[in-house]
Amino acid sequence: MKRRALLKLLISSAASLPLLRVTLRAQQLTADDVFVLRDVAGTVLPSSIGRKGQDEAVDNFLRWITDYKENVALSHGYGDPRLVKSGPTPAPGYARQIAGLQQAAQSRGGRFGALPPEVRRELLDAAFKAADLRNLPGRPDGKHVVADLMAHYFRSSGANDLCYNSRIGRNTYRAIRVTTVRPAPLSR
Amino acid sequence: MPIHESDVCVIGGGITAAMVIERLASLKPGLRITVVEAGRSIFDRENRGTYHRRALEYGEHPWHDDYIEDQQAKGMISMTMAVGGQALHWGGACNRFSEEDLRLKSLYGLADDWAIDWPELEKFYVQAEHRLNVAGDPSPYPEDRRSGPYRQPAMPLSYNLQVLKKWAEQSGLKFSPLPMARNITGPFDGRGACGLYDTCGDVCPTGARYSPDYTYQQLIAAKKVTLHDRMLVRKLVLSEGRDTIAAAHGYHQERPNEVMEYRARLFVLASGQCWSPHLLLLSANARFPNGIANRSGAVGRYMAGHKFISAQATIDDETFPGQNMTHSLISREYFRCATNTPFVRHDTRVWESSAGKEPRLRSAEGRLLLGDELLDEWRSRALKGSSVRLRTYYDSHPSADSRLTLDPASKNRYGDPMPKIDHQLDVAATAREGATLAHCTGVFERMVKASNGRLIGKPSVSTYWDHPAGGCRMGTDPASSVVDSYGRTHDHENLFVIGAPTLPTGGCTNGTLTFVALSLRSADRMSELM
Repeated sequence: MKRRALLKLLISSAASLPLLRVTLRAQQLTADDVFVLRDVAGTVLPSSIGRKGQDEAVDNFLRWITDYKENVALSHGYGDPRLVKSGPTPAPGYARQIAGLQQAAQSRGGRFGALPPEVRRELLDAAFKAADLRNLPGRPDGKHVVADLMAHYFRSSGANDLCYNSRIGRNTYRAIRVTTVRPAPLSR
Repeated sequence: MPIHESDVCVIGGGITAAMVIERLASLKPGLRITVVEAGRSIFDRENRGTYHRRALEYGEHPWHDDYIEDQQAKGMISMTMAVGGQALHWGGACNRFSEEDLRLKSLYGLADDWAIDWPELEKFYVQAEHRLNVAGDPSPYPEDRRSGPYRQPAMPLSYNLQVLKKWAEQSGLKFSPLPMARNITGPFDGRGACGLYDTCGDVCPTGARYSPDYTYQQLIAAKKVTLHDRMLVRKLVLSEGRDTIAAAHGYHQERPNEVMEYRARLFVLASGQCWSPHLLLLSANARFPNGIANRSGAVGRYMAGHKFISAQATIDDETFPGQNMTHSLISREYFRCATNTPFVRHDTRVWESSAGKEPRLRSAEGRLLLGDELLDEWRSRALKGSSVRLRTYYDSHPSADSRLTLDPASKNRYGDPMPKIDHQLDVAATAREGATLAHCTGVFERMVKASNGRLIGKPSVSTYWDHPAGGCRMGTDPASSVVDSYGRTHDHENLFVIGAPTLPTGGCTNGTLTFVALSLRSADRMSELM
């Protein structure tokens, strides 16, 4: 009972954030789902970005889900072009995957983030294998919500900067002169 | 059938049409020019920041509905059919061909000479570079002499490209920044300055990379052209008893019953290397049973372009992928080939790369990586030296059987057979394929020797021909060519074909600047006739 009360409190305080309100209105992920996602983020995203950075990464991913458009032409490609359209929103699948993960975590002793690291890895490993995930997707593709959260973050310009510990700013607006010198290190 | 009359009817609304119309309108003010384009106008430049973001985040095509689903060709490298054409999403590379491209037959006994001299074409290169606001530096090779300067200095090299230039030049090749049609020094001609979003080949949020839609909007606003978009021209009609073109019949894409007869004194076929020969073949009639402008039988033949060889390398030098991935270095060392050595011509290009340095979900041993472990593993690969992308476009001469044909198995909504392109090398080019691959591999191997480099895997040959051209090749002999050096068809005095289709061979570097230069020259000739 105590855990449930705590969960409700966390959800209600989180739901006061404007972005989350939008997310809850527009998509099929529930506040519970979002809570689980934030919990998982602590395991799958780098600790160096801190809890705040991990929450931001989740918020950005939720925004990605909210803004997803179905049946839109994807890049045709060049050389051997093909007309491919975006599929249905991954949100319902995400909800199922989160529920599955939560259920698996419960069966191993409780909340995902509270499980021993190797158990968390084991659960995700099993989930990814079941989803036939061999590598990090180029961008979220609906196969598994956690891999998609990871892809959304690790494929970002910010993660690229973190990897190189440098202000590269890939695909963002930059003055040309900024790129003509060795990129400055990220400030600590 | 309603009739629309003008002085000049341009069929196809891509970059070469934009250049011809702009030039004609300046040379002959008051000329009534109509451009008829099968695709739609995409003039929502205010949304391009959003399209840029969505292309990155979702992989969405940033040019919405820039294609016609039932108007597609087999063997075509792009689906785009819209006002602005494929140059809506080109990278902006503006490299010149070289004098050797125009004299292949006389220098090497290969393929054919072009029906134009280099000094003449070179003048129009200068004009094309000015119109597109190309940023470039003079080539370090003295043979690449120019009669006029670029309007802007080259795009400054990123730190990464500076590192790679130093590395690549240890091979003895000289490299310079690839000339680009981008506003580097500031806004120009209604387009913004470069903000280095690095998505030039998809969509440029500021308009810094030249895009023909800007030119069309300016021409329309100045009433220099009338644009009929969503009108597919399916047939060219001959004048009665004469070999001139009397009309073009256009069919509205959304209102199939709406047919328009376009009449003009001059017709300009500017539909690119695929749809130009296609329309000519489709317009066959009793007097021209093999197609309009096709007494020679050369329409749809000698489909050109160039193949390419790609490789990835790693070197010890440190770079930071993501600085400017669409900019590159070029060496023109092998644009020239001695006449007493085996023939091989190609450009040599170098890009920064993140190949092999992307985040991974599993370690080499298959262990799932999460959070800090994933980042650590990523860093262990990313911070160890650099990846480099290498490529050569090589001179690939087409045979007469390198063809565009009408494919009865594929038809559009009107029942017209769609084009099918099947590129074929000529006998000599086929025979030297192995030697070309060996030569280019040797060049790459020479380059990677510096900085403890090595090639990753074997260089690979492309599965398609880039910068496709040909199908209405130029020549002085009406028996073996479709148009003269100005693009005027031998068979019809009031019909021009411009740009890519007129090239006898596809060169060994990006083609767009050459298509534009030839088209500007065509425009001058047209103005003399009007």
